[in-house]
Amino acid sequence: MRSLVRFSAEGEGFVPPSSNDFNLPPVFGNNIYTTKPILMVFFSVIVISVFFIAASRKAAIVPSKLQFAGESIYAFVRNDLARDVIGHEFMKFVPYLFTLFTFILTNNIFGIVPLLQFPAMSRVSFPYVLAVFTFVIFHYVGIRKQGLGKYVKDIMFMPGVPKAVYILLTPIELATFFLVRPLTLSLRLFANMFAGHLLLLVFIMGGDHLLKGVIGLKLVSPFAFAFGIGLTFFEFMVQCLQAYIFTLLTALYIAGALADEH
Amino acid sequence: MKREENALWSIFGYLLSGLLFWGGVGWALDSWLGTTYLLLVGLLVGMGASLYLVWLRFGRE
Repeated sequence: MRSLVRFSAEGEGFVPPSSNDFNLPPVFGNNIYTTKPILMVFFSVIVISVFFIAASRKAAIVPSKLQFAGESIYAFVRNDLARDVIGHEFMKFVPYLFTLFTFILTNNIFGIVPLLQFPAMSRVSFPYVLAVFTFVIFHYVGIRKQGLGKYVKDIMFMPGVPKAVYILLTPIELATFFLVRPLTLSLRLFANMFAGHLLLLVFIMGGDHLLKGVIGLKLVSPFAFAFGIGLTFFEFMVQCLQAYIFTLLTALYIAGALADEH
Repeated sequence: MKREENALWSIFGYLLSGLLFWGGVGWALDSWLGTTYLLLVGLLVGMGASLYLVWLRFGRE
């Protein structure tokens, strides 16, 4: 690979972006708790708080543009996600779902905001933590609603099956509820953000590198940048979609735990 | 529409965990007994059991 791209520039060869580009150094000294993703997560909390406080502070019957924007997002999470999925007990879960949605959305979109340009969710620990929250909440809700014994029994034993078949099915049910659900939830978000950021790096850094090459390569460079810009819009779509899916699945899991039979 | 989405992700989860669990059992037996075909058997069993589970949950209406 290295030798193939080497001819593109006179000096050193093109170093393709890799997972190393996601290991950002600490911003302040050697403190590993002040890397860019961590600071961006704190920054996102400030941004979200300021936005929604400003949007709801001067609440009026005829809303301002800001109030309208804030209320649209809130109404979307409350009506389209919480109420449609969870049903009549949905109001209890709106604060968590709303926090989750705005938090993931803001951090994802930071991936294409100039100067910030890094999605914190492409570091796998952040999605893991969010998935752990969801995991604890939906199991807790189910256990509280139905009692520990009935909840676990409902998960383990699908009704209407010969007893011997449970040997085959019960491990799958348990693996689904306690392992695959939190893992797929976090890895889906992580992989989408990771791949998206890598893709943008390839096209933008590649375009930049081509620009420094011989004249023929300089002519190709704008196409790489154009693709990079196009993919940025595509990324915006993926980022919104992933925030939506994470929240939707959390709501679905809560709804499943609340229902009498899963 | 939400129900369909629910079904979609549940089915995906079942298929994945069936393959993971019974494939894992097959792989563990393989490395314990020194055979090579039990991984394949485990994967097929897991796939079959998952499909059966999906049918039980979504195909019985």
